[in-house]
Amino acid sequence: MITQISEDMIRGSITRAVQDVFKTMLHHDVVFAGASSSLNPDEGAPPLVVTESVPQVVGTVGFIGEANGLIYLYISDEFARRLTGEMLGMTPEEVAAGGDEVVNDAIGEITNMTVGGFKNALCDTGFPCKLTITSILRGSNFSVEPISSATRYNFSVEPISSATRYIFHFNCAGYRLVSDILMKIGD
Amino acid sequence: MRNKILTVDDSKTVRIIVRKAFKPFDCDILEAANGVEGLAVAGKETPDLILLDITMPVMDGVEMLTKLKADPALKSIPVIMLTAEGGRDNVLKIAKIGVRDYIVKPFKEDVLIEKAGRIIDLKPLTDGPAKARSILDPIDVLIIEDKPAIVQQIQEGLKHTPWKFRGVNTTGEAIDSCHRQVPDVILVSLSLPEESAFTLFRLLRANIKTKYTPIFGMVVKTDTTAQQQAQTVGFTGVITKPIEMTDIEGKVVKALNLDTSLRYFTSEQEFFIMRLPEPCSTLVLSEVATYLKVKVAEAVDRGINRAIIDIHELRGLNMNVIKLLFQAMQTYKELAMQFALVGNHQIISECKGFEDTRNWTFYETMEQAKASLAAGVSAAVAVPA
Repeated sequence: MITQISEDMIRGSITRAVQDVFKTMLHHDVVFAGASSSLNPDEGAPPLVVTESVPQVVGTVGFIGEANGLIYLYISDEFARRLTGEMLGMTPEEVAAGGDEVVNDAIGEITNMTVGGFKNALCDTGFPCKLTITSILRGSNFSVEPISSATRYNFSVEPISSATRYIFHFNCAGYRLVSDILMKIGD
Repeated sequence: MRNKILTVDDSKTVRIIVRKAFKPFDCDILEAANGVEGLAVAGKETPDLILLDITMPVMDGVEMLTKLKADPALKSIPVIMLTAEGGRDNVLKIAKIGVRDYIVKPFKEDVLIEKAGRIIDLKPLTDGPAKARSILDPIDVLIIEDKPAIVQQIQEGLKHTPWKFRGVNTTGEAIDSCHRQVPDVILVSLSLPEESAFTLFRLLRANIKTKYTPIFGMVVKTDTTAQQQAQTVGFTGVITKPIEMTDIEGKVVKALNLDTSLRYFTSEQEFFIMRLPEPCSTLVLSEVATYLKVKVAEAVDRGINRAIIDIHELRGLNMNVIKLLFQAMQTYKELAMQFALVGNHQIISECKGFEDTRNWTFYETMEQAKASLAAGVSAAVAVPA
């Protein structure tokens, strides 16, 4: 019985999930562009600061069960608007007229599908778990901190204690996507 | 009655994608953002199909599905799960509650339509009669026949049409060909090995894209067993061998409801022309009679007030032709149109032999008829009341 999941497996699963969602729903190819860190937060991982000044739309979906965790998907506001238009067949003007709500919902669904793909792979590996409801964060110059940190930006999110953190970067259509995974196996 | 499809998903994005996917089909899309709303809409509208997400606030999809299946009035409504919640065990557990299919997001719209089409009768929305296709359109005909001579015979025999023919040898190739591009009409040999034409027919009818494509079986005239079998399973029709091209053409025209009026009615400059072809069968006369008033009215509406009746192709006259010609002349007179007749020596001579037609004035060429009408001379014809 598998009791741990390797970083390779995590990287493979999230890469496949991101690629599958972007290819199927948006006809975009996604290329893995590197990992930032995989430190245990107790050992003091640095906060993730995606891009200092570019406004971000961040989708968040968790999973609970034999594996628990949260995945943040960082997409720049500009790319998020473009993806929304492509997914819904809307012009940039129509997306703009729809306001943040339309973009939030679209990015929320992209995140839901991506995290779904990732966690379904966990389920099939022997760690049954279920998805939680999607939420969206918006802003710039903010970070997700693995533990309380001296550096605080606009806001921070406290993750599950003793979780392992994996940050992966992807390139898509000239934009950068970042997935920030905080997870632990078992209760 | 239009099918009603209920999409239950907390994501408006998914509900929009679902609505978009079903737009080309004759159905109504109902929406709900969670299980509670979903049950309420299902109770009120009794949809024909429910597409159900799992992870939703207020009431999730599993709870809604359980309540739906416990309600005698709603339990028979088919449900397709459309959710990011996958994993073998999850899917099996939910399938046991009673779902007809399970689609794990991300999903292609085609897959959704195909799976929904297996459960409900999804009819593509058709254009109105004004946009109906005509015999001048390049109809795409797929021929599945392992005897190349037959394919060649059909292509040669129907080369006067603008139709495009694709010939394949096997049913496997036919499926690939349909997948690449759905043909307008399919002709399949019923004598392909192992009754594969019938297997292909079932596969094509199970696919939403080819569900309504006319499919004709081709078989030797004496093989009545295969003909009966084809009719029993629901082939659009049977074309018997040896093949008569008029048979194929007529059947395809009828199955696709092609507008054939352009065969008989055209406009050249300021002239409206009605032309009868040879052979001028009862079917032709019936078609011309059907289109006559509408086409003349359209021409008048466009400002045309001169007409030519061209029967120079005919080898002879009969009472049905004469009756139609009188009908046309009466229509022109009612709309104060000037008209002229174009005929050959045989026709002109035969007209002299009938009491009602002996005074008809014919021109031998279109140019003469046009020149006469341009000069203000109309055929002096007595039209019986």
